[in-house]
Amino acid sequence: MEITDIFPLQSLSTEEILNLLPLFSLSFGAIFTLIVGTHKTKGHGYAFLISFVFIFLALFQITYALFNSDISLLGGTLNFSPFTKTLSLMVTFFALIGTVLSYGQDKKEGLLPELYALIQFAAAGMILMVSTSHLLFMFIALEIMSLAIYVLVSMRRGSRFSAEAGLKYFILGGLASAMFLYGSSLVFGALGSFQLTALEDVLRSNSNPPIIFLIGLGLIVSAMLFKVGAFPFHGWLPDVYQGASTNVTAFMGAAVKFTAFLAFARIAQSLIFIDTVESLKWFQWFIWFIAAASMIYGNFVAIAQNELKRMLAYSTIAHTGYLLLGLQSMNYSTDAGQSLVLYLFFYAFANLGAFSVISLFEEKNQKDLHIEQIAGLGVKHPVLGFFMTVFLLSMAGIPLTSGFIGKYGLFSSAVAAGQIPLVIVAVLTSVVSVYYYLRVIVYLFMKESTSDLAIYQRMSGPVLAAFVSAVATLQFGLFPRAIINFVKLITN
Amino acid sequence: METSSCLLSWIIFSPLLFALVALILPAALESKLRTLTLVQTIVSALLAVVMYWEFDGTIATAQLSHLVLWLPEWGINYLVSIDGISLPLVMLTAFVSPLAILGTWPLEGVERKKEKFFVMMLMFLQTGMYGTFLSSDLFLFYFFWEVVLIPMFFLIGIWGGKERIYATVKFFLYTMVGSLLMLVAIFFILKTTMDTNGTPSATFETIRTLSFAFDGTSFETVMKSPQTWLFLAFALAFVIKVPMVPFHTWLPDAHVQAPTVGSVFLAAVLLKLGTYGLMRIAIPFFPQAAHYFSEFFILMGVIGIIYGAFCALAQTDFKKLVAYSSVSHMGYIMVGLFAFNKIAIAGSLYQMINHGISAGGLFMIVGFLYERLHTRNLEEFGGLSKVVPVMAIAFMIMTLSSVALPGSNGFVGEFPILLGAFQVHPMYVLFAGTGVILGAVYALKAYQMVMLGPQTRTDLDHLHDLNTREIIAMVVMTIFVFGIGFFPKAFFWKSDATLDFYSTSLIQKVGSNGNN
Repeated sequence: MEITDIFPLQSLSTEEILNLLPLFSLSFGAIFTLIVGTHKTKGHGYAFLISFVFIFLALFQITYALFNSDISLLGGTLNFSPFTKTLSLMVTFFALIGTVLSYGQDKKEGLLPELYALIQFAAAGMILMVSTSHLLFMFIALEIMSLAIYVLVSMRRGSRFSAEAGLKYFILGGLASAMFLYGSSLVFGALGSFQLTALEDVLRSNSNPPIIFLIGLGLIVSAMLFKVGAFPFHGWLPDVYQGASTNVTAFMGAAVKFTAFLAFARIAQSLIFIDTVESLKWFQWFIWFIAAASMIYGNFVAIAQNELKRMLAYSTIAHTGYLLLGLQSMNYSTDAGQSLVLYLFFYAFANLGAFSVISLFEEKNQKDLHIEQIAGLGVKHPVLGFFMTVFLLSMAGIPLTSGFIGKYGLFSSAVAAGQIPLVIVAVLTSVVSVYYYLRVIVYLFMKESTSDLAIYQRMSGPVLAAFVSAVATLQFGLFPRAIINFVKLITN
Repeated sequence: METSSCLLSWIIFSPLLFALVALILPAALESKLRTLTLVQTIVSALLAVVMYWEFDGTIATAQLSHLVLWLPEWGINYLVSIDGISLPLVMLTAFVSPLAILGTWPLEGVERKKEKFFVMMLMFLQTGMYGTFLSSDLFLFYFFWEVVLIPMFFLIGIWGGKERIYATVKFFLYTMVGSLLMLVAIFFILKTTMDTNGTPSATFETIRTLSFAFDGTSFETVMKSPQTWLFLAFALAFVIKVPMVPFHTWLPDAHVQAPTVGSVFLAAVLLKLGTYGLMRIAIPFFPQAAHYFSEFFILMGVIGIIYGAFCALAQTDFKKLVAYSSVSHMGYIMVGLFAFNKIAIAGSLYQMINHGISAGGLFMIVGFLYERLHTRNLEEFGGLSKVVPVMAIAFMIMTLSSVALPGSNGFVGEFPILLGAFQVHPMYVLFAGTGVILGAVYALKAYQMVMLGPQTRTDLDHLHDLNTREIIAMVVMTIFVFGIGFFPKAFFWKSDATLDFYSTSLIQKVGSNGNN
């Protein structure tokens, strides 16, 4: 047996190498980070520096690859098209902010320098995940990403909540992964392929797929809904958001959600939104229902929360609901895909920013920041108060911020797709969301601080991350034309 | 494009530029922040006067427009222009702003909380208000409409009274419910323009050319017509802001809790955003639906007039009394707008301006009293006219304006509304007319309880009369009260062509109605 039979990459062309370079950079960077992180005294500083450099390098390489020809590796398993490369660019950028955000937070929370390596591993998994259209490959990418995140979540050794969160996430996440894998095997058994494009072709020609396929699809959809944190699959989410160190929560909330949702969209587009197959209508209704339920549940439960991270965790369930509305619209409208990407992109910045501000105010090993603790902080620290206001207004979808543009695009494409009842649910529940976002702003600016519970932690990393996110949020909110046209260009 | 085409944008963004100046103002100059605000409002007012000068009263359509492509792919453009309907409202904003700053200047020795943030919010608020009145694009309108909320939220929430947080959150949420449904309607319009013209566009010009399906044969067909739902979505957003009964409950809370300058802006300008929206968008773009539901809105307007007046009568809190009087007076505008009659529509526009002047003036009076005596309870005043005669005169003038005495500006607004609406719906107007009487009752009652009667307080020795700043504000207000009252044409003639064109085409669209 020749080696090429097992490993079909006989030789890589320059273009292929060019497109794979970011993955190499991230992986080598991660290993390098692990090595320098062992330095006795300055491990954190070196690890941060190395990972920053390598992620930056990866960003640069992806940008370079973006202007070069597209390739498709392993018989169409890995696609490096402008679209996937842009998504990789975004994900890597989130990883960069996540790294910056961790600087300072790592020492405060007693996180190991491996933190930086894990972020890079996760980013590599994410790039693979958004680039592939092969179910098994997607599973592997999902695992690369998730395993890194499980460790990140439980890395806060001083806090028992962190271990609890990590274990919870690991067990439930493992179950979801198993469901994904089993579902993929059933789909393969029924239709004979792991390749989403091939499966789509089969479904288009065969309007009556076997029941095994539907069971497999059901398992895959459930696993994906778990990963994006939609309503009945959300149980892990608030605890994990609270238990994890805030910088990890920020990175998770932005990048994992982004990746998982786009992978889900990719699956849905090929396997669910096929008009000719009658039985798939059930899945469309299912998503419709999950979308409405997530919006209602997430927003109403968030009202009752007095702890910031937990509140944002429930609000992220609501945002998943809005995103599922956008996903649902992809069935009818070509613009919906773009709106989805934009919304995720804008939401990620608000998320990263809000958690960076939280990390500046919470104490060491604190489970969560209580809303009473931030009373009057907007007055004491006007710049951070302003940033936080921008992020919250963006999440609430108020004009001047990118969140408004995101919501505008998402809802308008949903209306264009004829999803008016669901849009009305979304709109009315957003009013509810405005209440709890405003509540935070009220505490920041309008309540007198009762005690000096929250102390501002001097950490340059989160401040920088908050600054970048705030600039991005306002920039895309006021002058969104460039980014929208760019996303439009790459999706066509 | 003519050279003056950027003028409107200057009006909109000049307050924002001043806000930036306020932001970077060195600490040594921070005591001058109010002066800076006054300068800003005067600069904006001067720009508005230039605009008034440039405005050609013989043209019935939008002019001085300024277009910047913002996001044309989504049908989002920055397009501002002015016509005879927005002109008086912009001028109202321009004149009320400096007067509000002058009239609510904190007295010596009063602690000023977070002054910098306060004046920045005032400037931001003005940008929002000018922007809403000047937008000629539905998206831009919505944008500014929402932007107005943010400074108002902070103004009430930080510098308000005891229950300020409850009031400000209520204010924000009420407005949000309406405006988000309006957003859905905007999406639908964008989709319609996309389907008919091939490009999405939401400029008022484009929407005017569209007609949304409406079948008025039976209630069932009406409820199935898209125009009905579009109209109701827009109308809900606007009537909450007006506010129309039963969506008015945010208003007394917001007014009572707001700082005086916030109340003045809220009463004088922010409420007009609602009626302006009805006049500009909800009624002309969806005329058949508006006409179909017009009796309901007139009924609600009449209920508002009477209910607001009775509520005002029952109040002992002076500020709440003025707040409920706003509910009552705004009811006239609802009646006038939905009468589909030329005279009534013109009257509604006049009433918007006049209510802005009288309610703004009354809130300033409340502010004068509160700053000096730290109470708003009517029963704790009494016999003040002997101590503060100038304030008594100013208060009397504002009261007369509010009760629509002939010769004051209030009459110029309410009389045409009742006259025009009478030709269409005499029964409703009969009831609305009682509001005029009730209005006199509660307004004069308030005056009597504050200024006349025996002195109940013992601490009136050190009560100061109006100072120069306050007198200037009140004198300018008085000029407007009697100026508009005696020479309405001199103030409103530039709107005539637009109003004529507006009501003619509106009445034409809904079929003959009234005697015009």
